[in-house]
Amino acid sequence: MTVALFVALSIMLGPFLIIFFASFEPSSTLRFPPTGFTLDWFRKVMGMSMFQKSLVLSLRIALMASLLSLLLGVPAAYALSRYSFKGKRTIEIIVTSPLIIPGMVAGLALLRFFVLMQVFPIETTLLIGHTAVVLPYAVRSVLSSLVNLPVAIEEAAQSLGAHPLRCFFLVVLPNIKVGIISAFIMAFITSFNNVPISLFLSGPGVNTLPIVMMTYMEYYYNPSIAALSTLLIGLTLAIVLVAQKLLGVSKLV
Amino acid sequence: MKKYFLLIPCLAFLIVFFIIPIVGMFVDSVYQPEKGWVAQKYLDFFRQRLSRTVYFRSLWMSLLVTLVALLIGYPTAMAVVRVKNDSLRSLLMTLLVFPLMTNPVARTFSWLAVLGREGLINNLLLSLRVLDSPVRLLYTRGAVFIGLLQLFLPLMIISLTSALENLPKDVPLAARSLGANSFKLFTKIYLPLTSEGIVTGSTLVFTGCITAYVTPAVLGGSRVLMLSTLLYQKASVTLDWTMATVIAMIMFLSTLGVNFISRAFSTIGVRRWRRASG
Repeated sequence: MTVALFVALSIMLGPFLIIFFASFEPSSTLRFPPTGFTLDWFRKVMGMSMFQKSLVLSLRIALMASLLSLLLGVPAAYALSRYSFKGKRTIEIIVTSPLIIPGMVAGLALLRFFVLMQVFPIETTLLIGHTAVVLPYAVRSVLSSLVNLPVAIEEAAQSLGAHPLRCFFLVVLPNIKVGIISAFIMAFITSFNNVPISLFLSGPGVNTLPIVMMTYMEYYYNPSIAALSTLLIGLTLAIVLVAQKLLGVSKLV
Repeated sequence: MKKYFLLIPCLAFLIVFFIIPIVGMFVDSVYQPEKGWVAQKYLDFFRQRLSRTVYFRSLWMSLLVTLVALLIGYPTAMAVVRVKNDSLRSLLMTLLVFPLMTNPVARTFSWLAVLGREGLINNLLLSLRVLDSPVRLLYTRGAVFIGLLQLFLPLMIISLTSALENLPKDVPLAARSLGANSFKLFTKIYLPLTSEGIVTGSTLVFTGCITAYVTPAVLGGSRVLMLSTLLYQKASVTLDWTMATVIAMIMFLSTLGVNFISRAFSTIGVRRWRRASG
C-alpha cells in the first residue's frame, strides 16, 4: 500500500518537480536535468506581451464568470434547498448539465450558436460560456451550505418581524459565507483553467492564457513555458494551501 | 411563485446559452431543413477508417487508463485512509486535490521535460548506456497514456477514499475474527462494500479520458489522434463542421452510455451484496 501511495504521488506530482527544475535551464531547449541555473526564462516570459495580455483576459473572465455564477446560482440554490416543487428533478438536471456535457461538445455547440447569432463580441461569448460551465460548481457549494443551515434560524428571524430579504442578507448570508467563498474559489479556478470552451470561443486578439500557451508550445520548444508553468503551479499550490487552511480540503472537492 | 422567481435567472441563462445550443447542434446533426434527414453522416463516421480507428483507440485508451488508475488508486486510497495522524492525512488529501486544480496546460507540459528528447527518461537511459541515441517518447500512445493517468488518478483516489471512509470499521474486524484471510477479506468485504466508489471513480476516469483535449493534443499530437483532437481538427483546421458535430455527438453519447452502464452496475453490486448478507 505504501508502495502504491508512492507510485501514485510520483506519477501525479513528479512531473511538477521536474518542470520546476527544468525552468532554470540556461540553454534554449527544454532539458532535464538542467545544465545550469538562470532566472532568464522567468524574466522573459513575464515580459512578453502576449502572455501579459492573455493573463489579464483570463483573470478578468474568471473573476466576472465567478461573480455572475454566484449572482445566478445563490438564489437558485436557495430555492432548491428551501422549497419543494414540481419538476425539481428536471431543474436539477438543467443546473448540473454543464458537468455532464463534455467541454469539447459544449465548446463546439456554443461556437455554432454564437456564429449564427453574430451579436456578441468575442469577450462576451467567452464570459457566457465560462459562466455556464462554472455555474454548477457555484450552485453545488452554496447548496451544501444551505442544506446544513437549519431552517429554524430563518423562521425565528422572520417570526420576529424581519422581512425575507432582510433575513436573507443578515441571517442566511453570513451563515453560508464558507460555502460562498469555496464556490467562488472553485468557479474561479475552473474558469481560469478552462481549455475546451476557450478553444472554440477565443478569437483574433482575444485568447485566454491556456490557449496562448498551447499555441506557443506548437512553435517553440524552450523553457519559457516551463517557467510559466512553474509560476502557475506555484500559484495554484498557494491557493489550495490557503483554501485548505481556511475552509478545510473537503469543501473544495 | 416566489420560489420560481428565484430560479428563473439561473434556468433561463442555462437554457438559452447552454441547452438550446446543444440541442440545436444535435438536431442539426440528424435533420437539416434543406437536406432532410442526414443521419447517414453517423454511418460515414464509422465507415471511414481514420475516424473508426480514432474512436476505438479512444475507447481502448480510456479503458486502459481506468483499469491502471483503479489498480494504483485502490491501495493508495487504503493507505491514505489508514493514516492515523490527522494533519498528515489532510496534507496527503491536499496533495491529491492539488493536481486537479492546476492548469491543465502547465500540468501536461511537465511531461515534455520527462519524455522529451533531452528529458529525464532519455537522459537517464543515455547515461546508463541503455541507449546510444535518444528515442522518441513524445507523440506516442504511451505518452498519452501516462498523461491521462496523471490527470485522472486523483479523481479515482478521491472517489475510493470516500468509499473506504464510509466503510464501517467493525466489519473488517468482525470478518477477521471469524477467520477470513486477507484475500477473502478483500474480495468478500472490501470490494463489495466499496463497489459504488469503484464504479463512480471508474466512470469519472473513463468519461474524462474520452473527452480530455489538452493531454492528447500536447502529448499525442496528430500522430496519436484521439476523439477530441480529431474533433478539433475537423472543426478548426479542415472546417468540416458537419463531421465535427457528428464526432461531438458520438463523444457525448459515449459518455452517456458509460454513465448508464455504470449506474446499472452499481445497483447490481449493491443488490447482490444485500442478498449475500441476508
